[in-house]
Amino acid sequence: MFTRHRRQRAVGWLLAPFWFPLASLFLRFRFGVRVADVASSRRVYRKVRSSSDKPLLICANHLTLVDSFFIAQALSPSWRFLTDFDSVPWNTPEESNFASTPLQRILIYIAKCIPIRRGGQREDIREVLDRVVYLLSRREVAVLFPEGGRSRTGRVDPEGGAWGIGRIVAAVEGCRVLCVYMRGDAQTTWSAYPARGDLLRVSLALIEPKSDARGVRRTRDLSQQVIGQLAQMEAEYFCARKGER
Amino acid sequence: MEQSAVMAGVVKILTPWVKNEDALGAVSMETNILDDLKVNSARLVDVVIAFEDEFDIEIDDEDVDTVNTVGDAVQLISSKLG
Repeated sequence: MFTRHRRQRAVGWLLAPFWFPLASLFLRFRFGVRVADVASSRRVYRKVRSSSDKPLLICANHLTLVDSFFIAQALSPSWRFLTDFDSVPWNTPEESNFASTPLQRILIYIAKCIPIRRGGQREDIREVLDRVVYLLSRREVAVLFPEGGRSRTGRVDPEGGAWGIGRIVAAVEGCRVLCVYMRGDAQTTWSAYPARGDLLRVSLALIEPKSDARGVRRTRDLSQQVIGQLAQMEAEYFCARKGER
Repeated sequence: MEQSAVMAGVVKILTPWVKNEDALGAVSMETNILDDLKVNSARLVDVVIAFEDEFDIEIDDEDVDTVNTVGDAVQLISSKLG
């Protein structure tokens, strides 16, 4: 596993001077999306990474297919990713959306992605989770969506969380979770892409889920703490928007 | 505990989570919990915790990976019951 990830990371790093600028330009011209107060979220991410060497997992709500790109953009400028490639989070995109053609598979390979098939064989999903555990234990950063897919109601479902998150957190000693709630002003529900020119609001909260339970109860408990945090951040988001009107 | 009693308990626990009620009518040891009964995979953990409560056993995460069919669940629970 060590060689496999080291190779993928090395290829991504070597090609980063080419694909980072291209990806940034693509995002800018294709979607024209901006991140509100981006300096603040980038400052928080930098501080979170530098303040401790404990493993860091990023968990976010999920509304569009390209959330991962904008989360990366919200957390760090492209040039910093170039100088600190470890800060680029590993990602587990849905295979049918991002790995259905050879070109897509190449692109996600260099972008530190491990494709997963939602609803696929449990052994395959288990292998992806094991890879994420391995990467986190080596102090790499990964981003996952605890709901296991885009929020079909447009809201975080506290009851709908996949328990893979809990398994990962349980397996990684001292795992910190950076919860990221991101939503565009025009994002009323889930969609393929954000509305063109939308303004994304991002909030961050660092938690360290703990549970005294054992077995699957511990797994569920840890998952619920992460999902619950995201649901709380969503409530705060809507409360703040209501106050603006 | 008799295997038939375990099977009945498993089916009783699964019932509220089943989306394909036709498959529930013809449930057997070979019935796949996710594919045939259409139980939401995210809810499998709740099903397993219900198994723990019903049969007073403890199930590990790794054990859950072995449960694909109703028969797998019955065998896992039977083995825990000794």
